[in-house]
Amino acid sequence: MATKPLNVLLFGAAGVFISLLGMILIIANHWNSSEPWSGLSVALSCILAFLGLCGVGGVSSGVVSLLNAPRVKDKTGFDLGLSIISLLPAILLAVVAVVLVEALIHAFQIPVAQIPAPTAVIQKFLESWQVLWRDTQTTLLEASVGYLIGASLGIFVAILVSRYQFLNQGLMPYATIFSSIPIVALAPVIVKAAGLEWGSKAAVVAITIFFPVLVNTARGLLEVNPLTIDLMRSYAADPRRVFMDLRIPNALPYIFNALKISTTLALIGAIVAEFFGSTGSGLGFRILVETGQASFDSVWAAINIASFLGIIFYNLAALLERRVTGWHVSFRE
Amino acid sequence: MTRSSNFVPMLVVGIVLIVLYFPIMLLANYPAAARALARGAVLDCKTALECSFDMRSPIIPSPAQLLKGFSSLYFPPTSETSVPYNAFFTGLETLSGLLLASVVGLGLAVLLVASRAFERALLPWLVASQTVPIIAIAPMLAVLLGQYGVEGWIPKAIIAAYIAFFPIAIGVSKGLRSPDPLQVDLMKTYNAGSLQTFSKLRFPSSIPYLFTAFKVSVTAALIGAIISESATISGAGLGKMLSENSRASDAVGLWLVMIGSAILGILLVSIVGWLERVVTPWQRNH
Repeated sequence: MATKPLNVLLFGAAGVFISLLGMILIIANHWNSSEPWSGLSVALSCILAFLGLCGVGGVSSGVVSLLNAPRVKDKTGFDLGLSIISLLPAILLAVVAVVLVEALIHAFQIPVAQIPAPTAVIQKFLESWQVLWRDTQTTLLEASVGYLIGASLGIFVAILVSRYQFLNQGLMPYATIFSSIPIVALAPVIVKAAGLEWGSKAAVVAITIFFPVLVNTARGLLEVNPLTIDLMRSYAADPRRVFMDLRIPNALPYIFNALKISTTLALIGAIVAEFFGSTGSGLGFRILVETGQASFDSVWAAINIASFLGIIFYNLAALLERRVTGWHVSFRE
Repeated sequence: MTRSSNFVPMLVVGIVLIVLYFPIMLLANYPAAARALARGAVLDCKTALECSFDMRSPIIPSPAQLLKGFSSLYFPPTSETSVPYNAFFTGLETLSGLLLASVVGLGLAVLLVASRAFERALLPWLVASQTVPIIAIAPMLAVLLGQYGVEGWIPKAIIAAYIAFFPIAIGVSKGLRSPDPLQVDLMKTYNAGSLQTFSKLRFPSSIPYLFTAFKVSVTAALIGAIISESATISGAGLGKMLSENSRASDAVGLWLVMIGSAILGILLVSIVGWLERVVTPWQRNH
């Protein structure tokens, strides 16, 4: 058992290497040709793809047994290496998948107007990065302004709701009803009412975010263990102290959970709102316009930027969560 | 907290919301109405205040306009241009998308749980995909499927499924792992094979997780269906109505379609909730 994982890992890596090499050869062979696809290269790329996936599987199972293997408790400096190793299968899978798509597209001679090859997307990205940068700025502005307004408004109303039982009973049922309006149906109404400027998109984002933040924060402020409230009372704490020292810390994990969900919602809201009218920039606008012209390389470039923004935005919220609520159970080892 | 105790506060808040609606509507419509009057447009109304209630293309429609539009857009429900008729189609697309997503998601979840190697390679991407605005792909996917001759309700269902399937795959794989190690050991002492452990223990305990994922993804699937309807030429559906009304800049129509899709969203979520109660009666006590 001791040497087996390493062998599997090496065999897998060799498989991945051979399949990547073969697929790159296919790509190079068909790079500039305009002939219809040849059966041989298609069959070959299928075999290579299978080999590559098996290779990823081999690497993956090797990594799993490496990680599971008992190891010396020498944590200093070893953790980073381990986390890179544990991500290795995922990275390899992505590399194999991207190269495979490239090879198949060249082997089948699929035009850009249907599925652009990854290299075509990169090329488009390099060509028109200025336009895409402007789009990114617009969408980022809409999403972040809307996010800040929606989140602070949601937290503020939630504090009111937790303070006044009447509002809790009267407002929260409406909040659940309003939150079930799909963003797509809400966006055209707001864009129509508030104009084509970026402000209308920020308003869509703010409204979509408001409800999850409100519902989650209110739950966190209200679902406090009754025993701890009794304890605070026995300390003769006034309502303000109970609020500041008990309810807010209790709500923080809920708030951050909502804030993390909302990062994705904010980008979705901004992009969808741009589908229904904009002043000529924005990732959603770009996606819609270029889809209409069937230049899918630009669309994919915009989609990749949006995904990248989404991941960054989410991780910023997660980082903030870790800094503020690092004491919480879910972070303890 | 019983339902009746909520009634009075809900009524009061509802009345306050309705009363607030009028000044907000006037504030939004008055400048536009005044401008229209100043331009000398031929209108049925005399003052700008009057006109704010009855503009042809209001910024925020007045309740009277909404009611009038309601009777023409919701009745008869079988008419091809009515909201209920189109909502029915969108709802069907969403539900069939959800069905497709649960089949694919279930299969993927089984693979994820069966092989740790597979999980290592795939799960990071599945998790990252949750933070990505996946809806951005919908218009392109709709056009692309059209190019390959996939038309009608099928591409909408596929896109709805595509958007819904990530939460389902993750939720179900969490559910398949949820049984207590002690329970798994118990199955082993019964000499149960891994297939039996799966069908008798893992699968049943994943069903509540499946429904939790459904509740998240049904709204996402609805959004996907509507977006794909508005991105391509479609015969029916709320997305088609939205894009038509948006192009004609018919605010009253947009509002009514919005209300219709909200009702559809609530309906779909409650269908999922009802299914959950039917399928997992043992959960009712929780």
